[in-house]
Amino acid sequence: MRRFRATLASLFVTTTLVVAGCSSGSPGGNAAQAGEPVSGGSLTWAVETEPITFNPHQYAQAKTRLLVWNTFEALLTHDDKGGYLPWLATGYEVSPDGRAYTFKLRTDVTFSDGTRFDAAAVKANVDQLLAPNYAPAVAAVQLKNLDKVEVRDAATVVFRLRKPDVLILDFLSSPQGAQISPKSLQEAENLKAGGPQLAGTGPFVLDRYTPGQEVHFTRNPAYNWAPPNAGHSGPAYLDEITYRFLKESSVRVGALTSGQVQLIEGVPATDESLISATPGLSLQRGLNSGSTYSYYFNTAHAPFDDVLVRQAFREALDVPAVLAGVYRKTATRAWSVIGPTSPFYDKSLENTYGANAQKANQLLDQAGWTARDAEGFRTRDGKRLTVRLVQSAPFVRDRRDVLAQAVQAAVKQSAGIDLQVQLVDQGTATKALADGAYELFDNSRADTDAGAALNLMLYSTGSINRTGFKNPQLDKLLDDAVATTDQAGRTELYRKVQQLVITDQALVLPLYAPQDQIAASRSVGGVGFEPTAGVPGSAYRLWLGK
Amino acid sequence: MTIALDRPGAARARSLRAPRPGLAAAAVFLVLALLAALWPALFAGDPLAADPLHVLEAPSGQHWFGTDQLGRDVFARVVHGARHSLSIGVAATLIAVGAGILLGLLAGLSHKIADEALSRSFDALSAFPLVLLALLFIAIAGTGTTSLIVAIGMALVPHFARVVRAQTFVVRRAAYVTHAVAFGAARSRLVVRHVLPNVLGPVPVLAVLGLGEAILLAAGLSFLGMGPQPPSPEWGAMISEGRGYLHVAWWASVLPGAVVTATIVALTVAGRFYQRRFEGRELA
Repeated sequence: MRRFRATLASLFVTTTLVVAGCSSGSPGGNAAQAGEPVSGGSLTWAVETEPITFNPHQYAQAKTRLLVWNTFEALLTHDDKGGYLPWLATGYEVSPDGRAYTFKLRTDVTFSDGTRFDAAAVKANVDQLLAPNYAPAVAAVQLKNLDKVEVRDAATVVFRLRKPDVLILDFLSSPQGAQISPKSLQEAENLKAGGPQLAGTGPFVLDRYTPGQEVHFTRNPAYNWAPPNAGHSGPAYLDEITYRFLKESSVRVGALTSGQVQLIEGVPATDESLISATPGLSLQRGLNSGSTYSYYFNTAHAPFDDVLVRQAFREALDVPAVLAGVYRKTATRAWSVIGPTSPFYDKSLENTYGANAQKANQLLDQAGWTARDAEGFRTRDGKRLTVRLVQSAPFVRDRRDVLAQAVQAAVKQSAGIDLQVQLVDQGTATKALADGAYELFDNSRADTDAGAALNLMLYSTGSINRTGFKNPQLDKLLDDAVATTDQAGRTELYRKVQQLVITDQALVLPLYAPQDQIAASRSVGGVGFEPTAGVPGSAYRLWLGK
Repeated sequence: MTIALDRPGAARARSLRAPRPGLAAAAVFLVLALLAALWPALFAGDPLAADPLHVLEAPSGQHWFGTDQLGRDVFARVVHGARHSLSIGVAATLIAVGAGILLGLLAGLSHKIADEALSRSFDALSAFPLVLLALLFIAIAGTGTTSLIVAIGMALVPHFARVVRAQTFVVRRAAYVTHAVAFGAARSRLVVRHVLPNVLGPVPVLAVLGLGEAILLAAGLSFLGMGPQPPSPEWGAMISEGRGYLHVAWWASVLPGAVVTATIVALTVAGRFYQRRFEGRELA
């Protein structure tokens, strides 16, 4: 009988080793300047992305993950190797058939509204997630194998699955699996939008949100249940922290260099020299986990229903050239839908396609797009080879709009493809996607387990399957991969998935592995990235040195 | 000690005849801008040719205005952008002039109540900033070049309508009109033959000045993303695209901005000169 017993003692040992062995991006990486951790003070952090919701169950923007963990916490968290550490749960057991996960919960945790955290609260959160029209994507994907949640006693909760699904652990350590006070779930006026009305167990309390401007958190003085890799215990160091939403990168950099804010995230490559040229500022980069930033081809209608055209588009683009233009030398080129830091990454895909204009033109000729119009674009039966990429403004980061224009120019020059880029608001983008009025969809996901991202985007019924590609073989591979507990077995299954979607079907054009950058004043200590996820960490570790 | 005193008459005669450097520069610039709008290929190459290996390069002999974030030649984009920006300005001004004359005549020739209603609505619209009005039209009609032209044209209509109405009031009481009425001229003939030609006097002057305003408004709205969509080279959109790189590559937005400024200054100088000539007086 196999038992996974994650005990606190053994975890403490591993995390101490992990923390000690970390170099870049570790907590206290710039402690030399900020001195020893001190309690008190307030910080302002300028961030690129304003959340479309503060409800963690509705979380969809990787750029807002750093805000989630200030107020909310999950049952488990990740170490920096993709493994699990206890958080609100002290440990878990898996039944031999892989269909029951029993969690032991901490008994000393209260939500900031005074409600006790217990097994009933966990069940209330799952019930809410399964409520109709609340979080359909979570219910349909992450919780699709969940049968029921049983409350055994106040400190014990059992997740019963219909079939084995290792991703349940990833879900319970993700923002969507974060715990909201059951009282808030019942009483909040606008539950889906979240905000000050939603109470969590986190080290900070969200007490003020000014749309379009900033969100403000104050310390939760009762907090004493940090995960073992948090770097310290007890309440947070900072009294308060304000996140200002500054969409323009030049404005963020200016705010930092002029001392209006102490931290910024999202530093474009062109501005990195400004940061390094300013004494008293430091810059850190972290590579995200999950799926790479890629263009997904819509196979539901012409022209990308034809695999030749999909391959041609990929061949038409010299990815390193456009990346060098937009990101200088800071971007890591992606070859697969899975990021190069993931254990499931298939390295054999490297250098198997791309940057071959001649081949692109041959493929397009073969597909019947032989004629050219006055502007040099290819046509077939008098119809121009036009493809649309609809970008939703709240999700645009890292100058992806500029990158799209670079791609636009490149595919026009090399193969006569007319790429039309539309940068629109969220509502317009949602409508375009629902109507199928797009040929390309762009996306990256910072899921800690890449499998979670693939289930959303490649599975035939995945909630962000924008390729419209439905294939029983692919579904089976994805199903088997979550039912397999050993890493080698999962790696082999995901290798087959990548071969199918990248090599055989050319469903995806991978562009780069997303990364985050943090630039900070050297007076700020504890600046770093969330382990495994690679996105900026929460404010719990931060302190303001003298 | 002698003090050179010009006789006022001499100074006036000279200023009307001798070309002033400001005016000459404005005229030359406007001719160049017009040529650029009509035959951009005379001056520059492809405004859309991206070169990822040469992004954000400073102005040089090869790239007079440097290159932008995609390695496109900023000078080529400014030259080709003249067509977008000037045609939007001209088309919008034509809409404003046409609709303004029509509505102004209508108000000036109507009975008291209709005139009041029209005049007060001109006043009400004039009370709003132009940008706000144009944004309102765009919010209703959607973004794109056509709706941008219509929006700016609409926003400028009251401008022209008020002047034409005031002029109509003067003309309809003029002796030649009252005589024509006395001779029994038909109303339509009266308007077309006698009133219209005589109310149009100040309109060309206003139109030149309005053109500058329309171009500025077009650049402003394109800056906000309401105009031609990328990769079209439009001056306002270029300033907007370049502003993220102001720290490292000022030329990508400052030089298109300088061209917008120069165009509007040139149009204003030309318009004012024309205005003085038209009104028959010299301010200098």
